[in-house]
Amino acid sequence: MKRIGVFVCHCGVNIKETVDVEKVTVELKKHPDITHIENYMFMCSDPGQNLLKNAIKEKKLDGVVVAACSPTLHESTFRNAVEEAGLNQYQCEIANIREQCSWVHKEMKDATHKAKVIIQTAVAKLKLNESLSAISAPVTRRALVVGGGIAGIQAAIDIADAGYEVVMVEKKPSLGGHMIQLSETFPTLDCSQCILTPKMVQVSKDENVKLHVNSEVEAVEGYIGNFKVKIKQKAQLVNPDLCNLCDDCSDICPVLVPDEHEEGLAWRKSIFIPFPQAIPATFTIDEDSCLGLDPIACGKCKDVCEAEAINYDAKTQIIEEEVGAIIIATGYDLYPEENLAEYGYGKYPDVITSLQFERILSATGPTNGEVRRPSDGKVPKEVAFIHCCGSRDPDRHLSYCSKICCMYSSKHAKLYKHKVPDGQPYNFYIDIRSGGKQYDEFVQQAMEEEELLMIRGKVARIYKENDKMIIHGVDTLSGKGVQLEADMVVLAMGIIPSAGTDEFAQKLKLNTGEDGFMVEAHPKLRPVESIQAGYFLAGTAQGPKDIPETVSQASGAASKALALLSSDEIFHSPIIATVDTDLCSGCGICVATCPYDARELNEAEGVVEVNDILCEGCGACISACPSNACQQKNFTNRQLSEMIKIVAAN
Amino acid sequence: MSLPYFPGCTLKVDAKHFEDSAMKVMEILDEPLQEMKDWICCGTVFSMTSDDLMLQLASIRNLLRAEEQDIKELIVLCSMCYNTLKRAEKFITEDEENLRKVNDVMYKEDIEFHGLVEVKHLLSILKERITFNKIEEKTQKPLKDFKLGAYYGCLLLRPEDMAIDTFEDPDIIENLLKSTGADTIKFPYRLECCGAYQTVNNKDVTISRTYEIINSARKSGCEALVTSCPLCAFNLDQRQKQTAEAYLDFKKMPIFYFTELLSIALGSGWDKSWEKLHYVDPEPILKEKNLI
Amino acid sequence: MEKFEPKILCLLCKWCTYSGADLAGTSRMKYPPNGIVVKTLCSSRVDAQHVMEAFQQGIDGVFIGGCHPGDCHYQTGNYKTRRRVILLKKTMEQMGINPERLTLEWISASEGKRFARKIKEFTSKIKDLGPLPEYDFTESTENK
Repeated sequence: MKRIGVFVCHCGVNIKETVDVEKVTVELKKHPDITHIENYMFMCSDPGQNLLKNAIKEKKLDGVVVAACSPTLHESTFRNAVEEAGLNQYQCEIANIREQCSWVHKEMKDATHKAKVIIQTAVAKLKLNESLSAISAPVTRRALVVGGGIAGIQAAIDIADAGYEVVMVEKKPSLGGHMIQLSETFPTLDCSQCILTPKMVQVSKDENVKLHVNSEVEAVEGYIGNFKVKIKQKAQLVNPDLCNLCDDCSDICPVLVPDEHEEGLAWRKSIFIPFPQAIPATFTIDEDSCLGLDPIACGKCKDVCEAEAINYDAKTQIIEEEVGAIIIATGYDLYPEENLAEYGYGKYPDVITSLQFERILSATGPTNGEVRRPSDGKVPKEVAFIHCCGSRDPDRHLSYCSKICCMYSSKHAKLYKHKVPDGQPYNFYIDIRSGGKQYDEFVQQAMEEEELLMIRGKVARIYKENDKMIIHGVDTLSGKGVQLEADMVVLAMGIIPSAGTDEFAQKLKLNTGEDGFMVEAHPKLRPVESIQAGYFLAGTAQGPKDIPETVSQASGAASKALALLSSDEIFHSPIIATVDTDLCSGCGICVATCPYDARELNEAEGVVEVNDILCEGCGACISACPSNACQQKNFTNRQLSEMIKIVAAN
Repeated sequence: MSLPYFPGCTLKVDAKHFEDSAMKVMEILDEPLQEMKDWICCGTVFSMTSDDLMLQLASIRNLLRAEEQDIKELIVLCSMCYNTLKRAEKFITEDEENLRKVNDVMYKEDIEFHGLVEVKHLLSILKERITFNKIEEKTQKPLKDFKLGAYYGCLLLRPEDMAIDTFEDPDIIENLLKSTGADTIKFPYRLECCGAYQTVNNKDVTISRTYEIINSARKSGCEALVTSCPLCAFNLDQRQKQTAEAYLDFKKMPIFYFTELLSIALGSGWDKSWEKLHYVDPEPILKEKNLI
Repeated sequence: MEKFEPKILCLLCKWCTYSGADLAGTSRMKYPPNGIVVKTLCSSRVDAQHVMEAFQQGIDGVFIGGCHPGDCHYQTGNYKTRRRVILLKKTMEQMGINPERLTLEWISASEGKRFARKIKEFTSKIKDLGPLPEYDFTESTENK
């Protein structure tokens, strides 16, 4: 019989407060299956682990149950410790008596009893555990980066610099993301384009980077180290290799649509280049608005294209790539303005979003960097900047802070003052959140030197009277209502995951939180990894953040991915399904239940075989097997049944 | 078939013209209103009580009477009654525990209350059941060139979960008026507070609200305001007397219930008796527009 | 008489509901201690025989937790569980076990609050139902 040792952790007071660890130790000492039991303050600490290792040696244990926090936190810690003591890591089980016991119950009596039952179920399972070793598989030493904003660009550069290939997928026709739309960035006011375009060029020039624009990830199969990715690329109606950017096509194109890069403040043609520095540098045809796909209707651009780059018959392509790691950098969108009907966005042209104002400030924007309002092109003499539009309003909108709007609204006011020295900016804010290097200094300086008028309070309603926007708000410091006139209003909209993040996450089986952002593996200690092995997170796909933070996270994600790509092989969990060929009748029911095609009917032998590498261990086949021939390693029907008996007996 | 409706106190006295015109309008639209039996105060005056349950009892008793009379959908005209009754409906349908408490307190009632009655404002009935298209078809005397501002106040729209329309940017009254051929103007103060019960002990507040609201409407080009709330109507109409005394530049503006204008448009006309219930005489503008 | 404290077996999938239960813990939500958790990799690992075995052993209620439809880590496991639970409930009825003693809930890793609520609801339901009646073989054949 196995000699099993049990180690009960106090977790400081976290467990001890509601679970009487002494009582648990004393009472379980008599348990026939437990050879040794003791408790300790912090099992995960070095002394705690040593205690465990020594006990294994001294008491000649061949199985260990650690009763502590959730296995997601320290299962690997203890399994490593057990290995160091010479046992197989699968001879270690965790009894979760913190998250699922001490933290959720009030009565010490109840929690102590429950902890005992939990420990006993773990012992029952451990009794029948086999020693296993990880299944190894080779690693495809390439990475996929989804999203071509600053996060994706930085991650791609870092991986390519380390000498590995990168496949980059961007939905839009050019790299750049939202950052390329920005004018100048806080707190140093360096021009966003000037710092980003060199990086975009670097990506395009790097031989290690394979760039697919106008593309989306259609499907991902496989597992960490060995993903097969299907990428759907929109029809390349303009051949990027032939296009020489002469611009004859867009001159003649008769179709005008709102320009996305200019946030709808200008028009573009149906054949267009998103912005002059676009990467890849080529014109693109917007299929949705182009008339030429029906050759009878139009075909003007093809007629004038001397480079013969245009081909209306090009078709959507599915590109297949194999990669070992995937970096998600799908970015953000602004919270929909129409949700804030009281501010009149859409109804009044002079109520604009923060991104639109970035375009107005930008030297390459629709007004060439002059601050002019959209309705009549006048220079606005008074501008209201409203922070937190849709943010920090759990009842009606988003509950979280957009993290950047305090900073950029102060920046907007400052840049506005630089361009319109006799103008008056008003900032309506809830609180000023300017945590960050040189951030608070930036805001303070803007307030003091640029004569911003900061009004602490929210705005209730905006409407137009004659030529002016009337802003109804409140000044919570004086406790009075405020009504002021402005020529233009800038809404600092909240931040949400970019459109399509939901379906994308579902397709890739990634977790998203209640707010829709990608969930990291651990909020503090594993902030750049996804819970799903082989996926890494960068930038605002994971939550609102500013550029420096995005870049840090992207580099972090890249280095995590590199650690994976630089190993020769990847180890796959051995907790997989097996077939007892003596019992298998070859009915093949399990073959149909397997979502991974890991099972195959061997017609000659009349039995089913398992492909160990493909099997993910879900166990669907086991409960489907009518002959009890399928089993899951270390989670056999017998083990499960023993655990049920323990629950029933207590 | 007739539609059961709850009048409430004001519609029997100061806002008699609201009730009269609504009855006429619904008659023409082939869905006549039928006053429910045994109604009592909607319960709004109990809002001073600190006990959440007591606050609801009068309203709930009305709903109970309705349930007794096998009424599934109870129509309300007065915005205040609508809000009070709707809140009571929500109170009991949102939490079974509340329903149980109510039945415990009202154990002397003959029947057990189940909370099956749905409270609806007449505007919702016009929009959903009658439809504005039908009103357009049935319009005999279009309110042509009549520039009207719809004044919502608060009770139709707040709290959000009982709003009869998008609560920050509603257009149900505007769309109704448009279907009768009127021009509507969304003036900035159409959702602002009228001052409500401040009119009793803090008259000055109401007067300044009336001044602001009517001025805002006038500046935007409105010739008259349209409302569905007797309290708003009182503050905006009767208080114009004091407003004109307090602000020398103030110009008066007639205030209508939406049903009065509907009555004219649908051909059941203007009743002479309605005129005296208005403070600002509405007849000159109606004559000017060739509506009477 | 001693208050009836039901025995409840919670079979939770590792990816969603188990993590949801962990989140309930991290958020220090309180719920009754009757349920003992057995972690499965996927809810589809739960074999009908285990549920029946649980009742046979005298467990008063079985709570299965899986990912929301469409969110299964193994793509389609939860759909299989859903079908299996419908069939199981029918079998339970035929065997004279109140089918309400088995429940299947979708609880994601971010729904700690939902986990606590569902456990509370299920525990109080089983308390209302009382202890699992002993399965009397002779009686049920006589009734036929």
